Amino acid sequence: MIDRRIAVCMLAAGALGFAACGSDPPPPPPEPEPPPAQQPVNQDSIDAERQRIADSIRAVREREEDMRRARASLVEMVFFDYDRSEITSDAERVLRAKLEVLRAFPAVQLRIAGHADDRGSTEYNLALGSRRAESVRQFFVTFGIPASRFSTTSFGEERPLEQGTTEAAYARNRRAEFQVTAGENTIR
Amino acid sequence: MTRTSPSRAAAPPSRSRAPRPAATAVLSLAMVVLGQLPGTVSAQDVEARFPGVRLGLVYEAGSGRQGLAVKPFAGRFGGDAIASQVEAIIGRDLRYSDRFAVIDSLPASMADSGVNYGIWDALGAVYLVTGQVEGAGTRFVLDLEVHDVTYGQLMQRGRFQIPNPDDANFRMAVHIASDAVVRWVTGEPGMAASRIAFAREGRAKEIWVVDSDGENLRRLTGAGSITLSPDWSPDGRRMIYTSFRGDGDPRLFELDLTTGRERRIEPGVDGLHMTPSYHPDGQVIAFSAVGGNNPGIYTYNLSRNCCLSKLTGSRRSDDISPTYSPDGRNIAFMSNRLAGTASPQIHLMPAGGGEPDLLSPYEFRSGGYYTSPEWSPVTDRVVFHGRIGRGRYQILVSEVADRGRRLVQLTSEGNNEDPSWAPDGRHIVFVGERSYGFGLMVVDAVTGATRLVVPSVRADVPAWSPSLEATTQEALRAGSR
Repeated sequence: MIDRRIAVCMLAAGALGFAACGSDPPPPPPEPEPPPAQQPVNQDSIDAERQRIADSIRAVREREEDMRRARASLVEMVFFDYDRSEITSDAERVLRAKLEVLRAFPAVQLRIAGHADDRGSTEYNLALGSRRAESVRQFFVTFGIPASRFSTTSFGEERPLEQGTTEAAYARNRRAEFQVTAGENTIR
Repeated sequence: MTRTSPSRAAAPPSRSRAPRPAATAVLSLAMVVLGQLPGTVSAQDVEARFPGVRLGLVYEAGSGRQGLAVKPFAGRFGGDAIASQVEAIIGRDLRYSDRFAVIDSLPASMADSGVNYGIWDALGAVYLVTGQVEGAGTRFVLDLEVHDVTYGQLMQRGRFQIPNPDDANFRMAVHIASDAVVRWVTGEPGMAASRIAFAREGRAKEIWVVDSDGENLRRLTGAGSITLSPDWSPDGRRMIYTSFRGDGDPRLFELDLTTGRERRIEPGVDGLHMTPSYHPDGQVIAFSAVGGNNPGIYTYNLSRNCCLSKLTGSRRSDDISPTYSPDGRNIAFMSNRLAGTASPQIHLMPAGGGEPDLLSPYEFRSGGYYTSPEWSPVTDRVVFHGRIGRGRYQILVSEVADRGRRLVQLTSEGNNEDPSWAPDGRHIVFVGERSYGFGLMVVDAVTGATRLVVPSVRADVPAWSPSLEATTQEALRAGSR
């Protein structure tokens, strides 16, 4: 946050040609002597200033990209094996990335929605989706994130990601989806 | 309830010469071995794996369907305008009852006054139904008779109020007459005067309802959300279901079918609420809470909005789809609680909670899959669906007393899921998928006769209503005032 404020300030300073960053600007000092006329322009200092501006812009962009990735990782889906709710190793990798973001931004809350493929009974699959969502919540709780930061629900087999009866389609539908329900604006 | 004689519980013994009510037939001796169909296993395979388990449809010797003729209905005082329409509905209802070899759609010349038993006997009829529709102001009266052709005598007669054909209750009023014929001849309840509710896929998933004969298909809810697991109150006046409307989580809602008013049920337990089911008293429901801090099967008193009580469940398993026995003393439900298998099985327990007992066949670590139980409204039998062979689901019936040692498999082709009993305790509606079509299908547990009742709909979780005779008659009385 502080990094970003400084960067933005420096960017503004560079663009507007005066320094006013940090705390209140001090009153301009009296200038008893008139400026010397026709001072030669120092090309090196201009280049250095340009470089500093470019660096600042890059830093802001990198920071923004970082936050974009953080938000994206929070909502990345995880997938499950048939009729199972255990966290697979692929899912664990995805959840660990979320874990870092959840730790860095303690105001963030997540809604976890479990889904199932359409094999088996509608009612069983609604319960299975719930079990998957609870399994994900439990993963985070195990790593010390308070359970109160998560709400869980299930859509059972009602909201397939992909239509079709191929194993590939089924595999895409056995999933948990994530929605940031609070604190998204703190990720910056 | 006498477990050894379920048919006696279903209905009083008939005085007629009809064959013994065939409800017992399903569970009796002989077996028809299922043909080898792709994707299914043979009955022998299943029976070899589960000693004592018997699959197949069973036909009781002598239960061949008896001829029943429907004489062309007569009309008087304007009743002739609807006589043939009423006759056609009753003829089809009697065919759908799967109890008779129906002889109907006869030429009008057969409508001569008087009953010549010799002619009907020659046509193969053991029973003869005659009807006369009389105009009575803005409505009609159907005078219906059933004759015993062999003995040449009148068995029963009755008069039925029939509203105009444009009245919403017209067909249901005629179905009541059809059920009377079944009761007069067999002593057992019919199922013509009933409806089937189900969830239908569309832009949203809403509850739809259709008459037992596949007519009057219409939408009941319009929340624009996901709606699942309807159940009818025992008097047929209310319906309870799971809906995602509101906060977006599955919650319970009850719809008053008379007033159209819907209310959200808030039993006061966290988690997602699903699979509600009425106690036979109509006041209490059993339902499941999944997820949350204290998942399991609960009961809740709807009429007093109180008295939440947990029957069973833990965070280690899903316990869903409770269904009451007709006397309200026991509950069947689905649970995947058994150690060593995460597979869903059908369990039984006392209605107040207690140690569960397994109903579906236990297959140690073999991944048996049995779900969606529904207790018969008249006998101690539970229908559910199970995975038989590789990934195919079939409709199965188990006698409670047998505790999974014997199963009767009612379907063998395609996928068949989510069964629900008709009020006659012998027909079962389910979601079927066949080579020739898909939709809501009905199977007769006695003869195995199967029909598509609503073809080509993406249907889910059907629930067959109780008899709607009383509610229909009430509506007719209200309409005539």
